[in-house]
Amino acid sequence: MATTEVNKTPEIVQPKPSTISNLFKNIWFLYALSVVGFLTLWDIAAVTKITGEFLPRPVEVLYQLVDMFLNPLAGKTLLTHLWFSLRRVLIAFVIAVAIGVPIGVFMGINKYFRAFFKPVFDLFKPMPPIAWISLAILWFGINETSKIFIIVIGAVVPCIINSFNGIRLVDESLYDAARMLGANKRQELIEVTFPASFPAIFAGIQISLSMAWTTVLAAELVGAREGMGFIIIMGMNTSKPAMIIGGMVVIALTAWLISVSVSYLERWICPWKVDLNNNQ
Amino acid sequence: MESRLEQQPVNYKISCTGLSKSFGNNNNKVDVLATMDLHVKENEFLVILGPGQSGKSTLFRIMAGMETPSTGTVTIDGKKVTGPGPEIGFVFQRYTLFPWKTVLGNVEMGPKLRGLAKNERREVAQHYIDLVGLKGFENHYPHQLSGGMKQRVSIARAYANNPKIMLLDEPFGQLDAQTRILMEQETIRIWEAEKRTVCFVTNNIEEAVYLGDRIVTLDGKLPGKLSHVYEVDLPRPRDFTDLEFLKLRQKITDESQLVL
Repeated sequence: MATTEVNKTPEIVQPKPSTISNLFKNIWFLYALSVVGFLTLWDIAAVTKITGEFLPRPVEVLYQLVDMFLNPLAGKTLLTHLWFSLRRVLIAFVIAVAIGVPIGVFMGINKYFRAFFKPVFDLFKPMPPIAWISLAILWFGINETSKIFIIVIGAVVPCIINSFNGIRLVDESLYDAARMLGANKRQELIEVTFPASFPAIFAGIQISLSMAWTTVLAAELVGAREGMGFIIIMGMNTSKPAMIIGGMVVIALTAWLISVSVSYLERWICPWKVDLNNNQ
Repeated sequence: MESRLEQQPVNYKISCTGLSKSFGNNNNKVDVLATMDLHVKENEFLVILGPGQSGKSTLFRIMAGMETPSTGTVTIDGKKVTGPGPEIGFVFQRYTLFPWKTVLGNVEMGPKLRGLAKNERREVAQHYIDLVGLKGFENHYPHQLSGGMKQRVSIARAYANNPKIMLLDEPFGQLDAQTRILMEQETIRIWEAEKRTVCFVTNNIEEAVYLGDRIVTLDGKLPGKLSHVYEVDLPRPRDFTDLEFLKLRQKITDESQLVL
């Protein structure tokens, strides 16, 4: 009986018709359609000047990018400008992590330290880093120090918040388990607190890095002679929208590359966490 | 000679005397455990059987030193329990493995905390991984294992610390029925391979009869108090369909009517 029924099943199932509706269920086709559709709409808007004079065609942006890549702008090619921005980001990022993670960790593990730091931190936390630009320029002048200062301000906050929360949210029962195995206070910290909160701390570091990359542009919009923010300002001052959009594209691509490489790094240091996320 | 032996008091491995526990303050007090005495002999397999909300987990956490009793004391080998420690192997209902550690890393945690050298603790851990039947899974992470395998790791981890007593808190409560039976058989096999004083909490009567040398039941209502004690002298391995097994199971069922 059962065998006959199983054998019957293929007759019921219709062969896959290769119709247009099936094409629209193909993920890769939809990816391509999304990109091509967006570029087409953009191109139509640019050609019909629906948004005014200052929308270049996609192809003009591409030419502008190639031009900046080959010919120096304000004495530096595109890659050099990118390097200047990246260098600021990296320096500030390292400083922010070196300050933020220890503060967050200490706030998490010591209630007196938490009581001492939290009120001031809560006051500063909601201030947008861009609000510090004017003050930074008054304090340090228009130079590298003021830019790095602003980026540190922006990047340090997620480091502190995530390290703090990561440590506070460690599953209590893991401490029970460690204590039942004979762990003392110091061992609890090393064997449970740090590894258990590591994914949250690492997530904070990731957010810090993207915050730093966002803030560097704001910092460079004011008084920079090089960097991606400078390119965007330059495009505005010389009425070259293609230069602005080109800059934006490079910024987005860089941010994407950074986040991809960081998630590879995470998979490498923290294999159990990435697998957990994939399973969910 | 013989009379002298008889005069000696029985040396219990675990003694709970005058134990009780209440939570909350004076205005809002919940009595979780009524005053109770409980004694466990060396190498005995004691099952504490009770429905949900009968205070059995609280009793266990007190025995393990994770909670302090409101009154009374727990002693192991005559020594008072003052806090959690490696002399007690605890198996949690929710596995509670360290997710960032492999099977090997989890099992060797106890020896590592005691400061054993790497090759020594590897040896100990490997022995218990083999004992619980997880050979070949040493480098797997907990999330890659099934529920039954996780609980095997948890048992191996507790055993690897060479504890005087083992406390298992509803360890198979989250497993499906078939895996559960397998794990019950494995528990007896492991216990017979390396005898320890074992206390096992469960809400499953069949599981209690299958495992225990002795079963104590708790009333199904707070505050929890001991209600019946059953000596189980059925030979092992026990058969779930054996007449004597079923009779005892029925007796316990009849005598532990839930009071709602």
